[in-house]
Amino acid sequence: MKKFTSEMVEDYANKLLIGLSEEENAMVLKEFDIIDHNMELITKIPGIEKIEPMTHTLDDFVYELRDDVATESPDIEELLQNCDSYEGREIVMPKVVGGDN
Amino acid sequence: MSKYKAVIGLEMHCELQSNSKVFSSAKNSYSEIANSNVSPVDMAFPGILPTINKESVREALLMSLVLNCTQPEYMYFDRKNYYYPDLPKGYQITQMHAPVGVNGKVTIDMGTYQKEVLIHDIHLEEDSASLDHYSDASLIDYNRAGVPLLELVTEPCLNTADEAVAFLEYMRRCYQYCGVSLADTKMGQIRCDVNVSIMDEDSTTLGTKVEIKNVNSFSNVYETINYEIKRQSELKDTGRYNEVEQETRRFDEETGTTIRMRSKVDAIDYKYFVEPNIPKYKITKEWLESIRKTIPLLPNERKEKYMKEYGLSEYDANIIIKEKDYADYFEECLSLGMDAKTSANYLIVQIIAYLNKEDITLKDFYLTPSLLNQIISELNKGTISSKQAKEIFNKSLEEKKEPKNYITKDNAQMSNQDELTKIITNILNNNPSQIEDYHQGKTNLFDYFVGQVMKETKGKANPTIVKEILNKKLN
Amino acid sequence: MAIINNIEKLHEMLVNKEITPLELVNESLEKSKSVQDKCNAFVTIIENPKITNVTENMLSGIPFGIKDNYSTKGILSTGSSNTLKDYIPIFSATAVLNLEKAGAIGVNKTAMDEFGMGGTGTTCHTGPVRNPWDLKRMAGGSSAGSAAAVASGVYPFALGSDTGDSIRKPAAYCGIVGYKPTYGMISRYGLFPFASSLDHCGCLTRSVKDAAIVVDAMKGIDPKDQTTWDSQNIHLYDALNGNIKGKKLFYIKEIANIESYQNKSEMLKKHLANFHQTLDILKRLGVTIDEVSIDKSILASLPSVYVCISCAEATSNMSNLTGIIFGPRGEGNNYEEIIKDHRTKGFSPLIKRRFVIGSYILQKENQERYFVNAQRVRRLIVDQMKDLFKNYDALIMPVGSGIAPYLEDDNNMIDNEETRILEEHLQIGNFGGFPSITIPNGFIDNMPVGINITGNCYDDENVLNIAYALEKEMPYQGQIAKEGENE
Repeated sequence: MKKFTSEMVEDYANKLLIGLSEEENAMVLKEFDIIDHNMELITKIPGIEKIEPMTHTLDDFVYELRDDVATESPDIEELLQNCDSYEGREIVMPKVVGGDN
Repeated sequence: MSKYKAVIGLEMHCELQSNSKVFSSAKNSYSEIANSNVSPVDMAFPGILPTINKESVREALLMSLVLNCTQPEYMYFDRKNYYYPDLPKGYQITQMHAPVGVNGKVTIDMGTYQKEVLIHDIHLEEDSASLDHYSDASLIDYNRAGVPLLELVTEPCLNTADEAVAFLEYMRRCYQYCGVSLADTKMGQIRCDVNVSIMDEDSTTLGTKVEIKNVNSFSNVYETINYEIKRQSELKDTGRYNEVEQETRRFDEETGTTIRMRSKVDAIDYKYFVEPNIPKYKITKEWLESIRKTIPLLPNERKEKYMKEYGLSEYDANIIIKEKDYADYFEECLSLGMDAKTSANYLIVQIIAYLNKEDITLKDFYLTPSLLNQIISELNKGTISSKQAKEIFNKSLEEKKEPKNYITKDNAQMSNQDELTKIITNILNNNPSQIEDYHQGKTNLFDYFVGQVMKETKGKANPTIVKEILNKKLN
Repeated sequence: MAIINNIEKLHEMLVNKEITPLELVNESLEKSKSVQDKCNAFVTIIENPKITNVTENMLSGIPFGIKDNYSTKGILSTGSSNTLKDYIPIFSATAVLNLEKAGAIGVNKTAMDEFGMGGTGTTCHTGPVRNPWDLKRMAGGSSAGSAAAVASGVYPFALGSDTGDSIRKPAAYCGIVGYKPTYGMISRYGLFPFASSLDHCGCLTRSVKDAAIVVDAMKGIDPKDQTTWDSQNIHLYDALNGNIKGKKLFYIKEIANIESYQNKSEMLKKHLANFHQTLDILKRLGVTIDEVSIDKSILASLPSVYVCISCAEATSNMSNLTGIIFGPRGEGNNYEEIIKDHRTKGFSPLIKRRFVIGSYILQKENQERYFVNAQRVRRLIVDQMKDLFKNYDALIMPVGSGIAPYLEDDNNMIDNEETRILEEHLQIGNFGGFPSITIPNGFIDNMPVGINITGNCYDDENVLNIAYALEKEMPYQGQIAKEGENE
């Protein structure tokens, strides 16, 4: 595993589309050191890799899937009332170029 | 043709039909009016939660069974995280860890051979919003956001563009036959990603895999694959195979080429993790079995039946099963007691030609099987000729009036044996020299006599009966 | 002022027409303004709330506070973040709707640590919330405004949310009751998510009985949240009988025994001594209390496990905050610049740091070591707790390592002090989705402290009943913060 470096912090922040100051960057590394230390201890727990990861909060949870019934759309005025940039019924973005995913 | 062996894998996305979307209760239907089929969930307002649609799961499991996949004991979902303006939540809910189906296979008919296609997995996910691009801006419409998508991933087991397209065609029909999707590529309901690599014929080492994203018609899939095989082969031929990079490209319709989007090095880490808001759902054996019982006859099974039970030729049967609409139409004709061959003939020769000419689907076709039956039954009775039948067919379509309106005494065919015998006897009596010539061996004079009868009856005589009587009289 | 009474009393007064809902609301609004001046507890004070009629429902006509991460239709809902500083939702959270159906009247939106991330109540975009018992101290977070307001007597209850201890910690710091029921008992639809597998809705009140009444009204299966379950057989209020003789409780030796610590500060000694005195009360009521030992290395790892899971889920959950559909539109020439500008300006430094950590943890090459291993340890501790719950009715523990810290000592940094697990063990309740309640159990240096009771999933009635019986033996039920009254 690569060590978490200041450059990586910068890179991840960029990918998350957030800007970090140098000071914030340093704090991330400092905090991460502690987490890394503790998670290193976890890897030493015997048989840890065999434990089923807990991805959901309640085990043996039983529920019904949703019935396929459609509901009406809210008014367009409502849908766009919090949007700073729209035209007609649609939200405006600067022209999106390049491929998608 | 290339001297290399191509290895092709497909990812096929198909929009599923349902009343509501896969994770929200907004309407799942196409609309010209932007943002008219959305719920707060589809626009990812803070605090929304996904709720999984039972119908989408049923459809996904149905296809999983059709593809002979293994279904999970517990179904759950994952988040695929990335930023793009068409993805309001900043992640797509999809299935990575426990898809609705894995390890499936289907056999497709390639005409001269059978091809076994291995299915890596089939999973249920949500579609993204659509972006409308203008010169200086892009507009976002969320109607499509959250529409259920079934993504099918094959193993890299196909070797030609023909196989790839045959498989896609096969799948498109399966979706239609199972009633889970209209599977209309023109509507963007089917979208494909293609990956292609080449290798030496005798080699066992796979070449460098190139992925081509968002190829949206089967003909483009065909072109994409052949272009990539050619591009990669040329590089290999000229000793520049190292220039074939593990990368993502896109197909450019205008030039018929593929264009680089990004290299594998820049590949996005989607940070997949299990969606905690959708609890694990137990797929019971009982439910699976009840879904299995609803699997309809699939295209190939219908084809076999048409040939064996109704005596259609393979050629005709192939045309009819091509679209579920055709097959359904045909079967409705049969259920009305219409003759199989005549119905098939009408469907293939008249109806499909008409649909293509008018660029409409069978759903918008005026002559339903029961209306068509008005023509066919008269034709079979012999009250009208096949020429007249054709005319009535066209007139009825043109004026959107039931065919029976055009079947009158005036244009009714003469089929009365006695009447026709009388006319024929008359004509023969008036042409003794021609009879002589006929018996001398000028057998083409048979048609001359038929022509005379037609002339006499203004074309209304039933030609089959006329021929029968003439045959009797002359021989 | 009538408003400082508990729900039963207020209901009686409303039914007897000693006071009207409008008068109660006005009292609450007036009090809101003075508490806003002192504690900075609110993002929004709802000036003209819709007044309801008095019905048989005990909550009819009762004013309450709503944490600002609950979506409220037509009313500013910010999650105390600049990314949503002008956001007016078009729908209300199910929990809020349920309370409105009962006739309760929302009168303000309470400030919180931005999107619930943080335990200090100091990262709100409207500035730090102050503790009504001592304005120089923090109220604790993230449900800081709700805790400060309830402790000040603005109303009998306020909504909170709890991902690590965000209801139960500020409740202790402010000398009130904080209850989060079993995961999925209250719908999370409309609650701005922090970490979906750990987030719980709940309430802050001044008595166990009030908490029972409020959650009885908030709970219920919700077609909009498939993690909810049918709790119609659970009647929290009706189940409070105060009879706990023969109950068996345990506490964790490594956390709650002073001998487990090398550095025994005066505060720590007083706090744990107070805890054990409270245990003595329970023993006198016929309750058995055992000291149970849990592997110290697992305990020590829990705060990091929590950070791994919560940050990973949070970075994904908050990816919808782009300023495209809602929130202030960022500047830039393409979508990436626009989103980045929005997020850089909108998020506090703490959240940004957590996002980067969460993102790192989720990277393909790191997931196994951090995220998946964290989920495995989560399973380990939850299984262990469930095993213990086979023999015990509940876990009883001190809340935090002492009284509310001074605001100037605000420290949101992740550290590795030996008291860290004492500070953060309430996260166990979130890992397992366990019902968990904090009630006040005394004072140290004139500041309140709390004790917590946590039980097995779906055993909310039992947990509340134990808390109820204990509360009756102590003089802190219904207490109103002194400084708030005297100044």
